Amino acid sequence: MLKYDAIVVGGGHNGLVHAAYLARAGRRVLVLERRHVVGGAAVTEEVFPGFHISVCSYVVSLLRPQIIRELDLARHGFEVLPLDGTFTPMPDGNYLWRVNDHGRTRREILRHSRLDAEAYDEYGKAMIDMARFVKPTLDMRAPDPLSLSFADLRELLRLGRRFQSMSAESRYRLVQLMTMSAADFLDQWFETDVLKATMSASGIIGTFQGVRSPGTAYVLLHHYMGEIDGAFRSWGFAKGGTGAISNAIAAAAREAGVEIRTKAGVSRIVTKNGRATGVVLENGDEIEGALVSSSVDPRLTFTRLVDPRELPGDFVEEVRRYKFRGSSGKVNLALDGLPNFTGVPGESRHLRGAISISPSLDYMERAYDDAKYGRFSRRPYMDVVIPSLTDPSIAPPGKHVMTCFVQYAPYHLKDTTWDAEREAFGDTVIDTLSEYAPNLRSLILHRQVVTPLDLEREWGLSEGNIFQGELALEQLLFLRPVPGWAKYRTPVANLYMCGSATHPGGGIMGAPGRNAAMEILGPSFDGGGRGR
Amino acid sequence: MTDVIFVGGGHNGLAAATLLARRGLKTVVLERRPIVGGAALTGDLHPGFKVSTLAHAAHPAPALVSELRLAEHGLELIDPDPYLFAPLPDGRRLVLERDEDASARSIADVSAADARRYPEFCSTMKRIRAFVSQLMASSPPEIEQPTRTDLWSMLMTGRRFRGLGKKDAYRLLRWAPMSVADFVSEWFESEPLRAAIASGGIFGTALGPRSAGSTAVLLLRMGAGDGRPRFVRGGLGALASALAQAARAAGVDIRVDAEVVRINARNRQAAGVTLRSGEELTARAVVSNADPRRTMLGLIDPVELDPGYLARIRNYRSSGRVVKINLALSALPDFTSLSGNPRALAGFIHIGPDLAYLERAFDASKYGGWSARPHLEVTIPSLTDPTMAPAGAHVMSISAEFAPYHLRNADWSTAGPAFADNVIDTLSEYAPNIRSLIVQRQVITPLDLEATYGLTGGHIFHGELSLDQLFTMRPLFGWARYRTPLQGLYLCGAGTHPGYGVSGLSGLNAAREILKDLK
Repeated sequence: MLKYDAIVVGGGHNGLVHAAYLARAGRRVLVLERRHVVGGAAVTEEVFPGFHISVCSYVVSLLRPQIIRELDLARHGFEVLPLDGTFTPMPDGNYLWRVNDHGRTRREILRHSRLDAEAYDEYGKAMIDMARFVKPTLDMRAPDPLSLSFADLRELLRLGRRFQSMSAESRYRLVQLMTMSAADFLDQWFETDVLKATMSASGIIGTFQGVRSPGTAYVLLHHYMGEIDGAFRSWGFAKGGTGAISNAIAAAAREAGVEIRTKAGVSRIVTKNGRATGVVLENGDEIEGALVSSSVDPRLTFTRLVDPRELPGDFVEEVRRYKFRGSSGKVNLALDGLPNFTGVPGESRHLRGAISISPSLDYMERAYDDAKYGRFSRRPYMDVVIPSLTDPSIAPPGKHVMTCFVQYAPYHLKDTTWDAEREAFGDTVIDTLSEYAPNLRSLILHRQVVTPLDLEREWGLSEGNIFQGELALEQLLFLRPVPGWAKYRTPVANLYMCGSATHPGGGIMGAPGRNAAMEILGPSFDGGGRGR
Repeated sequence: MTDVIFVGGGHNGLAAATLLARRGLKTVVLERRPIVGGAALTGDLHPGFKVSTLAHAAHPAPALVSELRLAEHGLELIDPDPYLFAPLPDGRRLVLERDEDASARSIADVSAADARRYPEFCSTMKRIRAFVSQLMASSPPEIEQPTRTDLWSMLMTGRRFRGLGKKDAYRLLRWAPMSVADFVSEWFESEPLRAAIASGGIFGTALGPRSAGSTAVLLLRMGAGDGRPRFVRGGLGALASALAQAARAAGVDIRVDAEVVRINARNRQAAGVTLRSGEELTARAVVSNADPRRTMLGLIDPVELDPGYLARIRNYRSSGRVVKINLALSALPDFTSLSGNPRALAGFIHIGPDLAYLERAFDASKYGGWSARPHLEVTIPSLTDPTMAPAGAHVMSISAEFAPYHLRNADWSTAGPAFADNVIDTLSEYAPNIRSLIVQRQVITPLDLEATYGLTGGHIFHGELSLDQLFTMRPLFGWARYRTPLQGLYLCGAGTHPGYGVSGLSGLNAAREILKDLK
């Protein structure tokens, strides 16, 4: 029987990051992935011959720069291609087209409103100021105000001092941002509906909330925290699809000595006298490990992999109460050519950015209303990209890949199932897009519909939540995933959590995996230096 | 010379004025209307019928009642029991009583599991309530420039918070930002009970049960007063009378029909007020019981205020969604689910049988429409207080939501009757004979609340009770301690912490802060 220092359950990007750091500290690490490919939801698959599709997650923004640097991901093939701006078509043929060039965006907004063009500058400055305050909290344990430990109190005090050192204006804005709805917050700045609707969209992604639900404003900051090649506030495509990120991290991990096994689903985490001692695979093999880190979500970890009877009742109760309720799906298309948007005909730069179907705040809110009563949005919010324009390697010559992130697609449907609704959902997406790009339907060669149920069944995301649990105020920071257990540790000694269900949450950030590794390795570990 | 002028004689203003006068400050209360009390008001609905025109229940802080000796001044509180009756569309009902066992028996009709869970819910909320009510009865902590005393009081609050124990303390932190739909669903499985409790988190707000932060509103409701909303013998106007008597006894000069049109400032210091009549009064300090928008945007020359502050006040949201409907009834309406036994009608009648109903009621208001089937909080005060209506007849008071101040396809100057019809239709589904009993009907729209009673946007709580406008952020972050950027100008109304219902807490807290400054 083999013996490892650490066994990581799940080979998603966080699991791989986590493993890489442990290995760089000299630990002997094994990663076990149930699927045939690593990456979890950050995966590129050849869904149709010649078409390489980022099946789930599709853009990169918040991947921690220190991870890119310390794991030397560039050398392992990680490359970010620009995603230029956001194009929002409107039903009347008008559009809003924001690009990475500030001056051009300002002129574009001026077309809609002079006041908004002026406010846009101030807004950007205010957001960057706040993003500077918030960003460091991504890379640390979330201090717990109910803990009496010296480290927590020191961190809280430090946060308090930094808060005090901000300008009064920024302090006021920040408390608003943490408590308001995206729509209310933006209403204070702007008057153009389509601008507010498109900006508000980032506040609802991965939540079961609407743009008018309090608590959705703070995610607006994330757009100002993206950092690629040092450029504050940019998003991009990974060359080769998001799977290429996972492959780069996996390569770095392997180089550090990590052993990665695919098609090796874990069926049980073995505990003895309240300590984790290893895992049992679905094929019955038992593997011993001095510690076990789970990158899968807490519901799977603590109700399936660990026998709940081994855990304190209160803890299990909190895990059961942790909210997932996935609210999004994905429709991936293989196209014979490029769609023609009524507002801006022809192939132009607007197709190289994100295409946002978010014409008004009411449109966004109505999409949410449908979901509240258990149906997918009749007219959903969508974030659409055509990565093959920027990265031709992922599609046959002249052909294109188009991926549509679609919200709302509630996991719990009323009176029907996702297996029954799959095609109807796909049709709704195509119908909605066709209202803006009428030729789209004629271009479709293949269509892949990923429902929340698929995310759960195939990718192990409970209830199809893309962030392994809703990003709601009561499930953030020291409350994520459950109060009292937000520091990557669990009631089982030597069992850790390192996935998106831990602080700071989802997206291809890698922060949970890295933070959890730091928690295990202790403050003396410096990340292992640059490369090796 | 007058020491303190109060702009507006609502319940909070009267309470604060009394405390200041008792400390020897010469205090004047100036009320625009012919009577004091603000939204705590009894009106003649029809010959022989009286009604609490606006608010129909109070959550008086125990300190308000005892310190101002309101009982001696004629206040008589009624603690209705059963306190909640929720008729259901299928003819069943839920009745909650002061006796927990009796409540549990009624709950068992809708869910046995919920009936078992209910005692634990009550005891947990009792513990949490104790902490919340202390927090509501204190000024929010000074965050910007804490003095030693502030730090000490923060430390004590921290200790009390820890005193809750880890489990309850985490609960409170987790619950406050949560939606009340999630909160009740963590406890209970039956929709009628979930909806009945959740309604406390959305009443009077622009929040649906699924809106984050609605649990905080529920906690405010539970923390206000002693946790039990009360009726007042003679209607809420009787509470205002008792407060006015206490104020006069303390030496407060109350002037009615005295509308303040401007708060005057000299050298960035509030110096007095100008009345509609042109009369000018000077004082060391001015305290406004009016809502923050009305005070800061309507009564003060903008040059006296920093533009940044003004911009923030303009962003303070106070768009109301409640319509008040008062009915004089020739007899007690017959609620189908009570089969002739009216005992359950004594307290609050809750119309809103499940969470989806309440959420749908809210949905319409997001798009500038009113609820096709509104959420109703109904009382029949004449059942517990026969002075309100002639023998055998009754008076019914209905708070109906959601009916937004800003209607998209209608105008409140004409839309009131249509919405009231909709409310009566809704009620008729549970008490079919009600329409035939109506002798008189009074409809008070959000526009009336603004025009007649001075509530900006018709918001019954002087501003939205959303997370970003509560506690240290009410009305604004940095200005939550009853002071304003204008030296000597204070706020004491429901637009300040804690700002829920007729509790007097904003007034009591404000008085404490003002006394610190005036000595």
